[in-house]
Amino acid sequence: MSATDTDYTIDELVVSALAREFPDDTVAFNGAVSFVPVCALLLARATHAPNLIWVAGSIAVDPQPKEIGESTLSDALWGGATMLQSSAADFWPYAQAGRLNSFCFRGAQIDAFGNVNNTVIGPYEKPKIRLPGGGGMADLGCQVPRIYLWSTTHDPRTFVSKLDFRSGLGYGDGGDHRRRLGLQGGPRVCVTNLCVMDFQEDSKRMRLRSVHPGVEVEQVVQATGFELVIEGDVPQTPAPSGEEVELIRRLDPTGARKREFS
Amino acid sequence: MTTQSKIWPLEQAAELVRDGDVLAIGGLSLNCAPMAFCRELARAGRRDLDLVAVVSGMAVDWLIAAGCLRRLIMGLTSFEGFGLAPSFRMAAQTGSVEIEEWSEHTLICALQAASAGVPFMPTRAGLGTDMPALHPERTWEAVDERSGERYLACAAIKPDVAVIHVHEADALGNARMNPKLVWFDTELVKAARKVVVTAERIVDTASFRAAPERTSIPSFAVDHVIEAPRGAWPTACWPEYPYDGDFYRAYQRAARDPSSFAELFAEHVAPIQEQTQR
Repeated sequence: MSATDTDYTIDELVVSALAREFPDDTVAFNGAVSFVPVCALLLARATHAPNLIWVAGSIAVDPQPKEIGESTLSDALWGGATMLQSSAADFWPYAQAGRLNSFCFRGAQIDAFGNVNNTVIGPYEKPKIRLPGGGGMADLGCQVPRIYLWSTTHDPRTFVSKLDFRSGLGYGDGGDHRRRLGLQGGPRVCVTNLCVMDFQEDSKRMRLRSVHPGVEVEQVVQATGFELVIEGDVPQTPAPSGEEVELIRRLDPTGARKREFS
Repeated sequence: MTTQSKIWPLEQAAELVRDGDVLAIGGLSLNCAPMAFCRELARAGRRDLDLVAVVSGMAVDWLIAAGCLRRLIMGLTSFEGFGLAPSFRMAAQTGSVEIEEWSEHTLICALQAASAGVPFMPTRAGLGTDMPALHPERTWEAVDERSGERYLACAAIKPDVAVIHVHEADALGNARMNPKLVWFDTELVKAARKVVVTAERIVDTASFRAAPERTSIPSFAVDHVIEAPRGAWPTACWPEYPYDGDFYRAYQRAARDPSSFAELFAEHVAPIQEQTQR
């Protein structure tokens, strides 16, 4: 990393940390309200992963949008695409066949095994808060081998020991649960406003991988409603470089990514 | 012999749907929902509909606010960057509308089962989640005896009526989106008993014959064609007009106060009737 004294904001740190997780062979969908992943995919493609293919929504292949609007399922993202799909449903077979390999989730609640809830807070029949719904989470959590989680609200209300509803599958009950269901892969990382977490190999529990600059390990522990796996010294998340910050601001000139940080 | 026109007046659109029907609407999120048609349902006071809306927002919110729905069968309902859909949220929290949550792919599977004429469609989607148990009579986990593989069975959902919005249609029912169809709409069209297309413009059949490669839906799959200029507003009808962000924002502001909401709703959709709470 260059310039340690680069000016950056938390959204730029989260975007850059998530972007670094996407390898060059990524072929990714994005879902609704996915401003951070869209920015991260654009950044990864502009830096270390030039062969990365991003499918905007499940519609526009490899687009080159000039900006990101109020929706990550909107035509505003389709400029410069190489293909528009005829039906969003036509792309799922590519996920099932393994060609589309990556998807990003966020949830109002996330548990230790990377399962997510975007359906209800409280009981399903009489919720305290009705959320938008799982959408494609229940689908792509099962059909896509590489799942990336993100959250801009790392607190005990988001990171809970028990979900009120499991809308999207991470590692299920942990261990080999996914394999028993006949499903491949699973969540790789969870990038939040405080840290980057991955998953312990056998238990599939969330493990603290790095803390963001200025964040203490204890702070993350306190902000997490389940017991976080911590092994040895926890390094610091590299700050975004000056080049990354500049690229993020150019790729998302209206600051759509900031919508998720309020 | 002359051919029979399928053109139907927008003002009589609600006659195409009966109280208690299973209605499916097209579009996706902020895009291309048949809003003018939904407005007619709201004005006519249709009741007890089961609405299938895979990924929707404003259309669902209008129909709920107008008291049209008994049940919502959905994957996702949201205004995306403009926030949560307020009437949907309130109805779910008070229990005034039954919310039957599926997921995008499992719902499409249920529609595909209907169009294939088979009892269910298998998929891996939804395995290991809490969703199937919400409607165990319609989605259930099973193991294939031959391969030993697990799957989720999605029972067929056959809408009584499907309504989609397109750019152009002719009197025979040929329909196209410009430059091509991109939403889940074909899956609804294939599955439904009755198909209604609302169109920005009615054009001559000759214009379809001149460019048959651009036709999205064949005439024989369509029962009624309704001319509805700006019929997707306030959702987008790409590439002709974008979603109306100002309206989404105004709607959200009004939703904080019942009288402001009633005023906005009466102006743009329909007067809110007293008994919308069931």
